[in-house]
Amino acid sequence: MAAPHVALQELQNGGGGADRDDFFDQMISGLAPAWPPGLGDPKLLFGVGVGGKAPEVASATEGVRYVPYDESSLLASRLRQQEATRGGRSLTETSMLLQLGHHSHHQAQQQLLLQSIAQPPPAGGGDSRGFLPLPLSLGSGGSGDSGLLVDRSRDEVDAPFKSPHLTEAEGLYSNGFGGSLQRAIQAPTQQQLLHHPQNYGMGQGTRTGTAAASASACGVTAPPRPRVRARRGQATDPHSIAERLRRERIAERMKALQELVPSGNKADKALMLDEIIDYVKFLQLQVKVLSMSRLGGAAAVAPLVADMSSENGARADGAVGGDDGSLTAAEHQVAKLMEEDMGSAMQYLQGKGLCLIPISLVSAISSAAAACHPRPPGSGCLGQLNRPTHHAAGDAPASPTISALTVQSTNGSGTEADAPWPAGSKDGAAIP
Amino acid sequence: MDSKGSACSNPNPNPTFGPSKLMLAFRFLRALSIVHRTTPASSPTCRGRRIERAAYASMAYSAGTSRAWSRAVLRRLHHRARRRAVAPRRLSTTAGNRAEALRRLVPGGAGMDYCTLLEETADYTKCLSMQVELMQGIVDSASSNGR
Repeated sequence: MAAPHVALQELQNGGGGADRDDFFDQMISGLAPAWPPGLGDPKLLFGVGVGGKAPEVASATEGVRYVPYDESSLLASRLRQQEATRGGRSLTETSMLLQLGHHSHHQAQQQLLLQSIAQPPPAGGGDSRGFLPLPLSLGSGGSGDSGLLVDRSRDEVDAPFKSPHLTEAEGLYSNGFGGSLQRAIQAPTQQQLLHHPQNYGMGQGTRTGTAAASASACGVTAPPRPRVRARRGQATDPHSIAERLRRERIAERMKALQELVPSGNKADKALMLDEIIDYVKFLQLQVKVLSMSRLGGAAAVAPLVADMSSENGARADGAVGGDDGSLTAAEHQVAKLMEEDMGSAMQYLQGKGLCLIPISLVSAISSAAAACHPRPPGSGCLGQLNRPTHHAAGDAPASPTISALTVQSTNGSGTEADAPWPAGSKDGAAIP
Repeated sequence: MDSKGSACSNPNPNPTFGPSKLMLAFRFLRALSIVHRTTPASSPTCRGRRIERAAYASMAYSAGTSRAWSRAVLRRLHHRARRRAVAPRRLSTTAGNRAEALRRLVPGGAGMDYCTLLEETADYTKCLSMQVELMQGIVDSASSNGR
């Protein structure tokens, strides 16, 4: 088209030192003869005479959406700024090959606009990046050249053209175009730029780079950018693998918990969790209640720590004699230690894996222990020490003594052999 | 103040399928006797609370320090012993979120992930049930012996 080039010439000629408004006027007037009739006065559209407020947008033509004046004026002012700084650019470089999808008018207008506005400040320095040139080659038009242009100008487009300008541009030239600008800047790949035409018609700025999506939606000629998407159920992602592992672990632990908690219905995971919570609460409550109930006083505890001084002597020998020799020796040792210091005696016992248990508790404990061990209840190896033991510092009125009863527990199974069971009768000697 | 359990290292030859019941009983009974010895009879509620603390302490010591919950219990006990604070109240769980409710119940549950929380809950439940059985046995034997 001659007209645009004419305009260009004018622009170039006048761009150097001319007054900016003049330049702009020239540009527009250069456009005017070639302006598609249906478009309306370009001056109106571009808001010539920047200072003033704009006439309303001439949206005479169908499908052409031009920004309200403000943005166009902003854009114009920016153009003027760039004019001085823009380096010389060849026309080819700056030729914008916009090919719109389905609006011919639109297309021509856009082309005109872009060409006219894009060209202008040819005399400017080369550092004006950003707005122009935007060699957006879209659709079918001039793919070859456009590709080159795209590549070359990509960097230029990138840096300074931030979003505010983008909005202006977008508003000015129909939203699709602005979107294309933005897209060119944000994700300038050749294929993406090829998808711009779809967005022109669509209008409203899809600000995010959905070029590929829209391209596929509109059946663009160029192939969309290949996307890698993991299919469901496929563990291509390390994250999903980790997630699966975690879920399995949680399932294991839930199963273990289910066995602990006495509950009939173990179907639902959520219900099971509620059961677990309730069970823990119940246990904690029981501890509290049981600790309160033992407030019966020392009387409740005293029987457990009975003084066995009188009974121990005769019985112990027989009991001990019937047992393992090593046990006897240990018991003697413990007894000796106990005379001196209770703590050391206990440590000695613990070192051997033994502990002291009041006689009366043997039944309780062994039955409870047998519940978790697969052993018949009541089988325990009980050896009695010869002498009663005294608590280290006890000098309360009812000085509790711990009846020494060693229960030997072997590896994990708590093997307890039968032994004379003095429990009941011994406890009878309770300290009041 | 509360000498509920000495931190004696216990080279227990028993393998840890869980805390040994016997050790639990031993520790608890020792602590119990201490409580009965040191607490004046005039303050029954105080004694009750001390017994409860003794129960948790013996539980924690038996479980050892390999468990997060036992560490948390011991930490809490030592702090409270120093500061003379009231025993921690159990928060009621209006379970908007079950995981949160569980975290509040299990000591030390606040700072662990869900997976670990479940594991700790299992161990804690085991220990709790053992402790309850023990205490129940004590009460039963005490009552059966008559008084």
